[in-house]
Amino acid sequence: MSDAILGILTAAAPASTSILLAAMGGLINKQGGIVNIGLEPMMLVGAFTAVVVSAQTGNPYLGLLAAMVAGAGLGLVFSWSITRLGANQIVAGLGLNLLVLGFFGYLLPTVFKIEGTLLPAGLVGLPKVHIPFIEQIPGLGPIVSGHDVVTYLSWLSVPLVSVFLYRTPLGIELRATGANEEAARAAGVPTLRLRDFSTVVAGVFAGLAGAQLSLGVVTLFNKQMTGGRGFIALAAFYFGDARPALTALGAVIFGVFEAAGFRLGSSGVPSQLVQMLPYLVVVLSLTLVAVRRDRRVRERGRAAAASLTAAGVR
Amino acid sequence: MVAETGIPVPGQETIAPSRVFGLLRPLQLLGPFVIALLVGAVVLLLSGRDAIGTYWLLAQQSLGGTTQIANTLVATTPVLLTGLATAVAFRSGIFNVGVEGSLYLGAFAAAWAGFTFRGLPGPLLILIAVSLAGVAGALWALIPGVLRARWRVDEVVTTLMLNYVAILLTSWLVNYYFLAPDIANSMSPLIATQARLSSLLPPSQLTIAFVAALLITVLYAYLFTRTTIGYELRMTGLNPRFARAVGINLAGAVIVAFLISGVLGGVAGGFQVLGVNYRFIDHFSPGYGFTGIAVALLGRGHPVGIVLAAIFFGALSSGGAMIQLFSDIPLDLINILQGTVMIFAVIELSRLPFVRRWLRHV
Repeated sequence: MSDAILGILTAAAPASTSILLAAMGGLINKQGGIVNIGLEPMMLVGAFTAVVVSAQTGNPYLGLLAAMVAGAGLGLVFSWSITRLGANQIVAGLGLNLLVLGFFGYLLPTVFKIEGTLLPAGLVGLPKVHIPFIEQIPGLGPIVSGHDVVTYLSWLSVPLVSVFLYRTPLGIELRATGANEEAARAAGVPTLRLRDFSTVVAGVFAGLAGAQLSLGVVTLFNKQMTGGRGFIALAAFYFGDARPALTALGAVIFGVFEAAGFRLGSSGVPSQLVQMLPYLVVVLSLTLVAVRRDRRVRERGRAAAASLTAAGVR
Repeated sequence: MVAETGIPVPGQETIAPSRVFGLLRPLQLLGPFVIALLVGAVVLLLSGRDAIGTYWLLAQQSLGGTTQIANTLVATTPVLLTGLATAVAFRSGIFNVGVEGSLYLGAFAAAWAGFTFRGLPGPLLILIAVSLAGVAGALWALIPGVLRARWRVDEVVTTLMLNYVAILLTSWLVNYYFLAPDIANSMSPLIATQARLSSLLPPSQLTIAFVAALLITVLYAYLFTRTTIGYELRMTGLNPRFARAVGINLAGAVIVAFLISGVLGGVAGGFQVLGVNYRFIDHFSPGYGFTGIAVALLGRGHPVGIVLAAIFFGALSSGGAMIQLFSDIPLDLINILQGTVMIFAVIELSRLPFVRRWLRHV
């Protein structure tokens, strides 16, 4: 049994990476006031770009870089449609999902002449990083060591995002923009540019997340490879109330669910029920947050009424 | 007892669902179509295909004959209903993107009735199946509805998430408890023969479902123009503070909007089972619920607009399925067009730089 748990945890680290990265990007975007439903297509574009560039150059790190640039570009266009052209962010995000999925569904058979999986000649995946000493620790070793570089970057991103949002002027201005755009603008914050910036950052994170899927987890591209991870990332930062540590916790838990789903599927536990968990957890956690907020508001109202009565006003 | 709704959910201030139907100018009405067709043409040309020829083939295969038109109307039916389901919610100020979930639950309920009550006469069985589909869809929509009305839980996120739950839930049910005995994977047993909707125009699958969808469109128009409840929904969508001030029960309006939306989504799924698939199929929907969002937006919430937009998407999908057979152009082209339409339906086209320059000349 403990072997099974260990197996799940070992598989969870690489399975969480893309969710964690995309969730961190989405979190920054959310703090800037944009709910990014387009993480999934941005990941897909990143995954594709990474494969093409890595195959062309033989260098997976250039693939990562290109994926981040591609994600940033898509993020900028997406943001522009929202901040400058007045598009509704949810509808634009859903539209972007359809558009990008349709684009790759069209592109692969017509231009690349393949039906399912793109596996160009010369494609190089990301090497695994083995950390000396830690690697030898039983149990902990395989969980911490032996992953690709993006996985470690994703872990590093959690404190970095936290410091950025809460300790730098830019991060504080960004949060002000998300909290109250008009007030922030009145205070001289360039809110539109900051919102665009946050979406571009989300694109960079999502692009990198996609690249980790296509160069780290596997070494290939197909149009289903993101498999809803962009939406699980959305679930993670909603679960975490757009705060870095809680969001990271959510992403890792959902990564464990995913790793567990694969393993439990063969042992008789319906995989559908395990896959359902992230979405249910989000609905539940949003509800709990709302109920608590509601109760607070009510109590304040009751206290105010009581003090009025006591003062003899009513 | 019930918390006030309609007032924006914290963190959702930037989203105003009732505003997405604004801007009723010809540019904004026709622009998304034209831009989508242009984007599609560019994609076709860049991939070395004949754009005009492809569109011509698409038009011929979707509207060029009785059978083709019938097939287009078959494909129109589900997206007309999901479009209406979405529009009811949007006009009431509810951002329900969970029609896909109601559709799955409705389809499953209809199929279950169809293969369970085999002894009942056709019309009665059909009536029961469609009713159960509507009830299932409504109950599913009631979850985010109550959460929104009672505790102001952001419905965009809950409805989006519950779509996945609905797809996985029905997948689990069909694969673990209701698998067809003769088929190995992912399908329920066939519904009783008498529960199948008969074709109005053989060999197509055009059935009474399309007529019903049109009637429901009329009801939709009637609801919003002639009834008190429709007026209250509209006011709740346009200006919740005003609506509350004139005594409209906002929480009630939110629940009603979700219920109607859910019924329509469920019925859309039910008709798909009774008229087209004759069974529940795991993951059967190519995104009818999401196409419904595009339909509602493109039709600007107006009944005639919704019907035209639904026919447009019906034609694209039936024509697209045919050209996939006749040429090497994948059906995914349709998704490119649909995605582009959605994005440009919500973009204020007059703010595009080149449009602004052009408008200045006119």
